[in-house]
Amino acid sequence: MLSKRLQPIAFQARRAYVDLMFQVMGRALQAITEVDETAREETRFLPVGFLFEMQVMPAGPKLIVEHTGDGRLQYLGDEASRPVDLSIQFKHMAHAFLVMSFQEKTAVAFAHDRMLVDGDVSLAIKMTRVLNRLEAFILPKLVAERAVKEYPATLNLPNKLLNAARIYLKVATNLVETVRA
Amino acid sequence: MTNKYYEFFCPVKVIAGKAALEHIPFELTSLAAKRPMIITDKGVRAAGLLDPVIAACEDSGLDIVSIYDDVPPDSSTTVVGAIAKVYRKEKCDSIIAVGGGSAIDTGKAVNILVSEGGDDIAEYSGAGILKKALKPFFVVPTTAGTGSEVTSVAVITDAKKGVKLPYSSPFLLPNAAVIDPRMTLTLPPHITAATAMDALTHATEAFTCMAKNPLSDAYATAAVRKVSQSLLKVMDKPKDEDGRLELAQASTMAGIAFSNSMVGLVHSLGHATGAICHLPHGLCMSLYLPYVLEFNLESIREPLSDLLLHLEGPEVYSATPAARRAEASISSIRKLRDELYKRCKLPRTLKETGKVLESQLEAIAKMALDDGSIMFNPREVSLEDAMTILRRAWV
Repeated sequence: MLSKRLQPIAFQARRAYVDLMFQVMGRALQAITEVDETAREETRFLPVGFLFEMQVMPAGPKLIVEHTGDGRLQYLGDEASRPVDLSIQFKHMAHAFLVMSFQEKTAVAFAHDRMLVDGDVSLAIKMTRVLNRLEAFILPKLVAERAVKEYPATLNLPNKLLNAARIYLKVATNLVETVRA
Repeated sequence: MTNKYYEFFCPVKVIAGKAALEHIPFELTSLAAKRPMIITDKGVRAAGLLDPVIAACEDSGLDIVSIYDDVPPDSSTTVVGAIAKVYRKEKCDSIIAVGGGSAIDTGKAVNILVSEGGDDIAEYSGAGILKKALKPFFVVPTTAGTGSEVTSVAVITDAKKGVKLPYSSPFLLPNAAVIDPRMTLTLPPHITAATAMDALTHATEAFTCMAKNPLSDAYATAAVRKVSQSLLKVMDKPKDEDGRLELAQASTMAGIAFSNSMVGLVHSLGHATGAICHLPHGLCMSLYLPYVLEFNLESIREPLSDLLLHLEGPEVYSATPAARRAEASISSIRKLRDELYKRCKLPRTLKETGKVLESQLEAIAKMALDDGSIMFNPREVSLEDAMTILRRAWV
């Protein structure tokens, strides 16, 4: 009985958590392409003006980033002025929560049919590599190992800490600027 | 609680075995189809493979209204548009695709146009665009490897832009796949070998990659067993109808397996090699399979060990120490490739193909990294990893 009453609260909390994580991920995607050349090597292949979206179906949280050139992504929030070029869609909030709470790796979520790709699959593969690299930077190694298929063997601790600090700083700055605006 | 989850879907009626073609008229009329169109290629027609299909239909009073026999190896949007026009002009109401991957993919694409309307198949490219069932569609495979008769995808080249357009929808699945050993009896040895290795690779990757599941596992292991037991027999005795049927069934079963659990790095490398060097898909699969299994070994040791039972049978499996079974599975596949080389010179290395330059390896590796199937490979793959595999496959 109690669990039934608590269920709507749990669903709201889950939605709020995924929403917050999307906001952080969107800003962090922008930040990683400002600080990491390897990430830019992937995103540089995207056409300028390319819009990438991650969203929860049917009308859940959403993040959209735009390639502004030279591999740099800009976080646009959850709206864009034109249709997106590539969309990775979670079929349900529960599936997004599994990935965003690092209970299920992104690749496993694809294998489990939790997500759909609408657009060029090869570009989705590139964006997934950028997301994996981002998670390897910003998450503690033990958590990152749960989020990515293989933790990069070449990522040493000083490099990880330095890049993580720079990404977090940029995310925080962007969040503050958004709140002020 | 386990995190495991899977989906499995295959609504295709499989009609397999002796006199399977003679079931086509009944199956078509049971779907209220009376005016079928055959889509095929010149090679199939020249080999006389249409004759038993036409005879089976005419014998039951069902006329084939139209035959389009000019499907090229890489079908295009122009070809699809042209066939759709003929279909409409002749007032056909169903499609029978007779052939290999290209004829079957063309049949799927034509079915989209004639069912949904319009003249430009490019408009329907992508996943999940189709929302309703299409016209009755039957597939009669004439090779035993692609498994296209049970997959929900098609690839058609955009004639204007020169890019390959993917189509994906459960509605692309045929109503029936007709597996008749007569249709593969005349396959030349090197095509028999390459297409069977394609089926073996579908099954092996389905069984060892990330989206494996209990149902696809059952189909994959059965397919591996059939290829292992029948391929060399058929190579030695090409008119062996039972062996041909076994290989054809293996191909269909492997198709069911991989369309539900996807494939991995062998296909990523194979797609890239096919695009850059224009090597046949089945040959690419045969070239890369053992090298990719070696690369993935520590991530797939358990399923690869299990595969030994299906590759070599219970005696070899039980006589092999558990810790050596995964390596023994790879050895078994290498041995099979060696036997095929002896019988039909099916290349075992990139060098042996004579069509790949060492200077092309980096381009292949880079393209493979962006191939969709790499997502389901059990190990992450870097450019360096892909290059290492390619160098091993070179010599």
